[in-house]
Amino acid sequence: MTKRTMALVAALCLVFIDIARADNVKIGFINSMTGSEAPVGENLTNGVTLALEDLAKAGIKVDLVKEDDTGKPQVSMSAMEKLATRDKVAGVVGPYTAACGNAIARVAEKYKVPLVVPVAAKDEITQQGLKWVFRPGAISYDYAEIVIEMATALDKPKTMAIINENTDFGISVARGAKAVAAKKGIQIVFEEAYYKGSPDYRATLSKIKATNPDLVFMVSYVADAILLMRQSREVGLRPKAFLGAGAGFSVAQFAQEQAISNYVFSSTQWTQDAKWPGAKDFGKRYEAKFGKQPTYHAAAAYEAMMIMAETAVKAGGDREKLREALRAGKWNGIWGEVKFADYDNFTNQNKHQMLVEQIQNGRHETVYPPQQAAKKPIYPFPGWK
Amino acid sequence: MGSRLSNIILLLTLAALFFFPRFVESPYAFHIMILLFLSTIVGTSWNIIGGYTGQYSIGHAAYFGTGAYVTMVLMKDKQIPPWLGVWAGVALVIIIALVIGSICFRLRGPYFVLASIAVAEIMRLSAMNLKELTNGAEGILATELPAFRIGGRVITDFVSKTPFYYISLVLAVVTIVVAFLVLHSKLGYCFQAIREDQDAAHALGINPTFYKNAALVISAIFTGIAGGFYAIYVGFVDPATVMSLDISVQIVLVCIIGGIGTIYGPLIGSILIVPITEALRSNLIAEAIFKTGMVSQESHFGSFLKENLAHAHALIYGILVVLVILFMPEGVVGFQRKLWSKWNKGLG
Amino acid sequence: MPSGMTVFFQAVLSGVLIGGIYALIGIGMSIIFGVMRIINFAHGDILMLGMYLSYYLFALAGIDPFVSVLIIIPIMFAFGALLQKVFINRMLDALPQNQLLLTIGLGLIMSNAMMLAFTSDYKILTTSYSSASVTLAGISISEPLAISFLITAGITALLYWFLTRTDTGQAIRATAQDAQAAQLMGINVKRMGMIAFGIGGALAATAGALISPTYYIYPQVGSAFTLKAFVITVMGGMGSVVGATIGGIIIGVTESVSSVCISSGWKDVVVFAVFLLVLLFKPAGLMGKSRM
Repeated sequence: MTKRTMALVAALCLVFIDIARADNVKIGFINSMTGSEAPVGENLTNGVTLALEDLAKAGIKVDLVKEDDTGKPQVSMSAMEKLATRDKVAGVVGPYTAACGNAIARVAEKYKVPLVVPVAAKDEITQQGLKWVFRPGAISYDYAEIVIEMATALDKPKTMAIINENTDFGISVARGAKAVAAKKGIQIVFEEAYYKGSPDYRATLSKIKATNPDLVFMVSYVADAILLMRQSREVGLRPKAFLGAGAGFSVAQFAQEQAISNYVFSSTQWTQDAKWPGAKDFGKRYEAKFGKQPTYHAAAAYEAMMIMAETAVKAGGDREKLREALRAGKWNGIWGEVKFADYDNFTNQNKHQMLVEQIQNGRHETVYPPQQAAKKPIYPFPGWK
Repeated sequence: MGSRLSNIILLLTLAALFFFPRFVESPYAFHIMILLFLSTIVGTSWNIIGGYTGQYSIGHAAYFGTGAYVTMVLMKDKQIPPWLGVWAGVALVIIIALVIGSICFRLRGPYFVLASIAVAEIMRLSAMNLKELTNGAEGILATELPAFRIGGRVITDFVSKTPFYYISLVLAVVTIVVAFLVLHSKLGYCFQAIREDQDAAHALGINPTFYKNAALVISAIFTGIAGGFYAIYVGFVDPATVMSLDISVQIVLVCIIGGIGTIYGPLIGSILIVPITEALRSNLIAEAIFKTGMVSQESHFGSFLKENLAHAHALIYGILVVLVILFMPEGVVGFQRKLWSKWNKGLG
Repeated sequence: MPSGMTVFFQAVLSGVLIGGIYALIGIGMSIIFGVMRIINFAHGDILMLGMYLSYYLFALAGIDPFVSVLIIIPIMFAFGALLQKVFINRMLDALPQNQLLLTIGLGLIMSNAMMLAFTSDYKILTTSYSSASVTLAGISISEPLAISFLITAGITALLYWFLTRTDTGQAIRATAQDAQAAQLMGINVKRMGMIAFGIGGALAATAGALISPTYYIYPQVGSAFTLKAFVITVMGGMGSVVGATIGGIIIGVTESVSSVCISSGWKDVVVFAVFLLVLLFKPAGLMGKSRM
């Protein structure tokens, strides 16, 4: 056998045996890098990239192990297991989607690996009393509450139609929307969950139009958000306001489709106008480096990585010490104040201030709450051109 | 190959497989073996209706998914341990197979194939929409299994992969044994007669409806059991994971590549496909290539490989299938047999 | 209820418009089946290639998707003919199941090669008229869908003329009716097969280009369309162009109306159920035997 062949054979054998490396602290990063969620997932990747730059500047060295979950929960679970057992990371940041977050929370708990979930919004993720799962991002209820609260601050809407995708994220936020509407005395006149990958909403939107709601509340990822609004325009749906619940509605790609995106509101966990230290600079830096406005996912991933890396290095890469430090710690960065606490029936959940943005002239502008707003909300919806 | 020799090889392989966990610790190696056994189980069971009886169902995900969902739902909602729940799954799968059979077996050839697809899709969509039953597209997540006890003693907690390894190994062996027994029984004879010429078989007194349904039921049972096992192993089911057309297609492809209508075809097909696709998917192959230093991770080609090799597995399926169908329609096993007989002829 | 009726008619109209595009897909598959007796599982993937072609023609050269059809038809005709010559031709005497599996393999190669080349990110093609509509009696008619429908009608008419009035067209129909007899009459059956596949491919890709302004584009989008094509082809009668046209519109309307009357989640179940009923009770389809 030639030397080359022997090396190849040896490498293939090594591949199945774990090698312990005693270098930098290893952090795992699970994200939807390809697949239908990729356009949003990209923001998380970019946020982490910026975080690594800042960490390097501060002399904090970590090795990042990236895993692509393609937006599928079972792949996410596999990735988490690999990071925990084969790569032996100190902690994991991610994933992106609510469904994946929900799936890997238990895997993290099983393997006792600290997991910081940046934005996955499903309430249940931190409602199970898991000791190893931490979430700096908001819960799904908050997504619904902030934007409906804004609508009731501007007007007295009486009716609302809900259309959401039938994924963990869509369903949990829709549930929140119904609860908030009940509290505020808004009647739900229509509700339907569509499944991803069926791009014809005309029938559903016509039905919504027939009920003539004041508000239309939508929960979607990117491609559907664009098609929903396109077909809303086609069908002539004209409520007083379109309320989007983050995700697909917060992406630059959505904003750029001005013919259909203008005046749409979206709840968001972060904008660069937020009065949090470094938020504006982060926004500018992101736009300069990547050519588009960051979504809240980018900021969340950035902060999650900063928190995880700093704490992991201080804990010397020890998982238990890392967990305790995360529990005890307090941070104040571009994501505002972060403290993982137990309240109501949540564990290790940060209480995060939500915001509302509106697309005006093809850009996302912060419009609510007033203390954080950069521009005034345009309400009611002026109609289609 | 002399029958004695092949029996010895068989026993040695079985022994090696049983002692595998003693020597290997990597959970990843276990994972690949478990997936391999699963693929063998579903492939071998499909072969009973597809290879032996000649009815190419591309809707077996219906049985796989039903087994998966029933086991999961019973475990999560009624706390019924999966080794009991899976039998409820089997019962349901039998009923479904009979219903599907009664609808689809009136059709022949490609029409049967299309009908089997339509039925499986109806089941998948129903699973998506019947939220109270299946939790719809959100799926069911259940990662804690009850401990398996005999008497008062805990045999396993299912925390490590070892119990899953042995269960799937035993299931695979059982499935192959059943397939072997069926093939060499009167049932098997009738199945093959139907495959060769259904009308002639009928004329000879073989009732096609009865035998086709029998084949489908046997096939469905083991596919359903595999589904139940898969569900609790992974800990998560949703319609896209266990009931999709992709699964049905994969099952068929493994058999085609390995050798349709042969006992070991699905096993060989699985050995060819599963480790490679898993290794690709989890970047092991990319890492190995980088470790040999032949390609650097930072180089253009290197990063292309890193990004994309993980997704190449389905492309490899496709290429393999096309090659096999064009040049080796009897699959690898059939091809090897031909080679062997040519070699023997050459010697004699 | 006036508004209820409006919603219903809206659904019917959208269904008819989309049905036209479905018909195009179905006709392609029907011709392939008629001439070669092969069920082309890669049909939806050819449609996907058409979508990507029109997307990149638009993104890189600014060519409007509807105009790009003129470019796509010849390219994809050649592609279809090539597929037939290189792959399908070798399998003419094989078991129909194996032929089907071959097309499955080809489809997998197509969709995954595209995924490797272009990633599986969803792409959206936005033209100035992507969300435009015209309102008539309270019912809104989607502009892009309406234009697609007109183009489809034009293509179908052209195809019908080709099949009935030209020598090649009649040769194709003869081959579909009875390949052996056609061969005896001096028709080059192999060449007919290539032409049939070429036409089928061109039609599928054209359908892709026509839908691209209103859909999202990603490598796996094909399989849903392949399934619909089966349903349409069987409903219309394998090998019947007129049947596939009618079948396409029926399926489009069924889908749309089920979406409104039941829910969007169940609409595909209705379509498949109809499919099974047709397969069981009228397997020759609405138009009966192979009659193009």
